Amino acid sequence: MIVRLENIEKSFGRFKALRDISFTLGKDERLALLGPNGSGKTTTVRIISGQIKPTNGKLEIFGKRRVDESVKRRMGVVSHNTFLYEDLTGYENMEFFASLYDVDGDRIKELLQELGLWKRRHDLVRNYSRGMKQRLSIARALLNKPELIILDEPTTGLDVEGRTRLFEMLSNFKSAMIFTTHNLQEAEQICERTVLIREGRVVYDGSSENLESVFQEVMQ
Amino acid sequence: MKFLRIAIKDLRTEFRTKGTLNFLFLFAFLSIMLFSATVGDPEPALLWVVFIFAGMLGYSRAFLREVETGTLDALRISPVSPSSILFGKIVYNAAIMLILEVFVIPVFMAVFGIYPKNVLLSVIILTAGNLAFVIVSSSLSVLVIKSRARELLLPVLLFPIVFPVIISTVQAFTMAVSGNLDGIQGPISVILGFSTATLAVGYLTIDYALIE
Repeated sequence: MIVRLENIEKSFGRFKALRDISFTLGKDERLALLGPNGSGKTTTVRIISGQIKPTNGKLEIFGKRRVDESVKRRMGVVSHNTFLYEDLTGYENMEFFASLYDVDGDRIKELLQELGLWKRRHDLVRNYSRGMKQRLSIARALLNKPELIILDEPTTGLDVEGRTRLFEMLSNFKSAMIFTTHNLQEAEQICERTVLIREGRVVYDGSSENLESVFQEVMQ
Repeated sequence: MKFLRIAIKDLRTEFRTKGTLNFLFLFAFLSIMLFSATVGDPEPALLWVVFIFAGMLGYSRAFLREVETGTLDALRISPVSPSSILFGKIVYNAAIMLILEVFVIPVFMAVFGIYPKNVLLSVIILTAGNLAFVIVSSSLSVLVIKSRARELLLPVLLFPIVFPVIISTVQAFTMAVSGNLDGIQGPISVILGFSTATLAVGYLTIDYALIE
């Protein structure tokens, strides 16, 4: 088991963002975290990625109770926020993050070529299109060949072509994946299993097939 | 009379938030306190006002920029310890501070006609004082990044905390400039002790400050 969440709660002041989140993620499993805006999807993945701590509950990731540096070395995160330095070039961004993961320059070249950014590597990121920034963000997340990749609404702001290209890339991923979305079709297309969250609680955990009828049933 | 409506709106907002007023009053009172510490020789204090004003504008930017661009989250998800992030920001701010000193000190001395009797000691004291200021402002800026009024909150927190360093640096710098070094160990000890203590507190609290 790569990830195990048991009765996770998270409060921000008086606001309870997560009330009861429990699910597990196995090796090489693809899991969609589905739910309407404000349901708690992003808070859940921020806890798993170590950006915030849960108020209550038990989190276990790669067999550890704490998201420390050794855990972070084994995961990659792609978000709707690209996590990139706009005033650095694409290559400089990759170089900086590679230094944090102790990854060499060959891996940077390999990823930038694979994602079609090698020719524009010396351009400032602020001059990249939204699609290019998202591809660079994916390249950054794959630097360390992660065993777990977390994608937090990565299609936000992407046009149809960018979305298609992203889905092609995702279909080639071999690692375990958590993919948050509020789009039923995206969840069905990318992941074999879906966890449906509503108002900070898991209301469905099962197959991604026939999600529309499941969604209508549990959301009523 | 629409200009009056704009002015009244601004005054109403200001009296509600008191953001600008707090900053102005703090800066004004700090200047008075600074000059009171250097009776008869206000130039050294004036130099510190320059550094404080520049530092207030600049040093907090290292963290705040990461918050504004969302890249602080990129550091949070990377295999890098919170203390490394803090020390990285301190080193960056210290480098900026040294660049500022290289240009400001000679210009200030030329404009005010100050020629220190002990040039090396004067520069070391200024650098040590500035370094303490960098450590305090870098450590404190982490604590205010979650606040909406962080740009204004930082000076409010910073001034009272950093005040002993400012006074000690002004006193030690005044002694080094005049060449009268009797009792200079006192203010220098305060600067060094304060820097070490703040660095230790920053190191111990950064984990809690950075991860929500």
